[in-house]
Amino acid sequence: MSAIWIHYARPRPHWYSLGDAARTARQTEWKTVTDSSVAAGGACLGRYHIRGQQDFETVEIWRFPDAEAAFAHWAALTQADYGEFNAFANNIGLSMEGMP
Amino acid sequence: MTLLTEATDVFAATESVGRCIVVFLARRLPLTCGAFGTSEKNRVCEVLRTLQAEGWLMSVRAMFDPETRTEPSAFDAGFAHAVDMVGAFEAPSLSAALVGTVRLERAGWSRQFATEWLLGQREFATVEARGEAVDRQWGFVALWEWNDAWSAATRKERHDYDAECDVAFNGDLALGMNIAGRHRLDWASSWHHIGIWEAPSLTAVDLAMRGHEAVADFKFTTSRHFIGRLRPLTEMIEADNVEA
Repeated sequence: MSAIWIHYARPRPHWYSLGDAARTARQTEWKTVTDSSVAAGGACLGRYHIRGQQDFETVEIWRFPDAEAAFAHWAALTQADYGEFNAFANNIGLSMEGMP
Repeated sequence: MTLLTEATDVFAATESVGRCIVVFLARRLPLTCGAFGTSEKNRVCEVLRTLQAEGWLMSVRAMFDPETRTEPSAFDAGFAHAVDMVGAFEAPSLSAALVGTVRLERAGWSRQFATEWLLGQREFATVEARGEAVDRQWGFVALWEWNDAWSAATRKERHDYDAECDVAFNGDLALGMNIAGRHRLDWASSWHHIGIWEAPSLTAVDLAMRGHEAVADFKFTTSRHFIGRLRPLTEMIEADNVEA
């Protein structure tokens, strides 16, 4: 059963003290993770700027084949130190398709 | 599964890979008469029995002793918190956990409770208290996230911090408290972890927290704590005795 995964994020304070090269290296690493998640069946439905009316800076919405795929995506990101440079809040939800 | 942080002297990585905690922070709804009667309660209890038959553990107690069929239980928390009931099951997988919450809600749970469900894989195994057997009728539930200071800390600073916190966790065990290991919640929450303690008394919980303060546990975390009295879950799911 497919799952929706909603990811809110904002940079942590020490992100802003990184140089451009270090930031780019991190972002490249995280892009590799997201590319792998897409190759494994995930789909990023969009990334939006919400700083004007939220505690976070961005929200991303993903659809995954199942909850385990969402977990695998997040576990790979955290393994690449994503959570150490970004505060976050995540949500998971089941598709209502096929439910009475 | 990768651990969010490394095992410590007190906590070992779990061998039961993939199992998923299902935490519920539930506030009883003000119901109109007949909205949650005996038939709704029976349906919810039937789902609880079905989940147990599918391999779910239906209480914190069962996490320590999975082979013993214990009745579903939770912690009665309304005397101290804005929620009436805090508890946890353990499902065989993330998908089973997620579907299970929907099954419970649809069976009637959502008529009686507004619930925040928190799901996440087990990382650390349970740890038993030291000393002689005592009756543990209280639960202490801790949600926490690593804060910005932890995130900016060096690997050595974090390792030293873990060692300091182990002093406090060992103190918890010496106070007669069992610790139900650790589960990671961060994939579907803003909380990173949950830990649940079985405690002999609220005094023990308070002494334990003093120990955690003493080692500066909270310099690197933002936490939310709950206490509650152990009760059978079926007692807290209260039919209004008037059929609609």
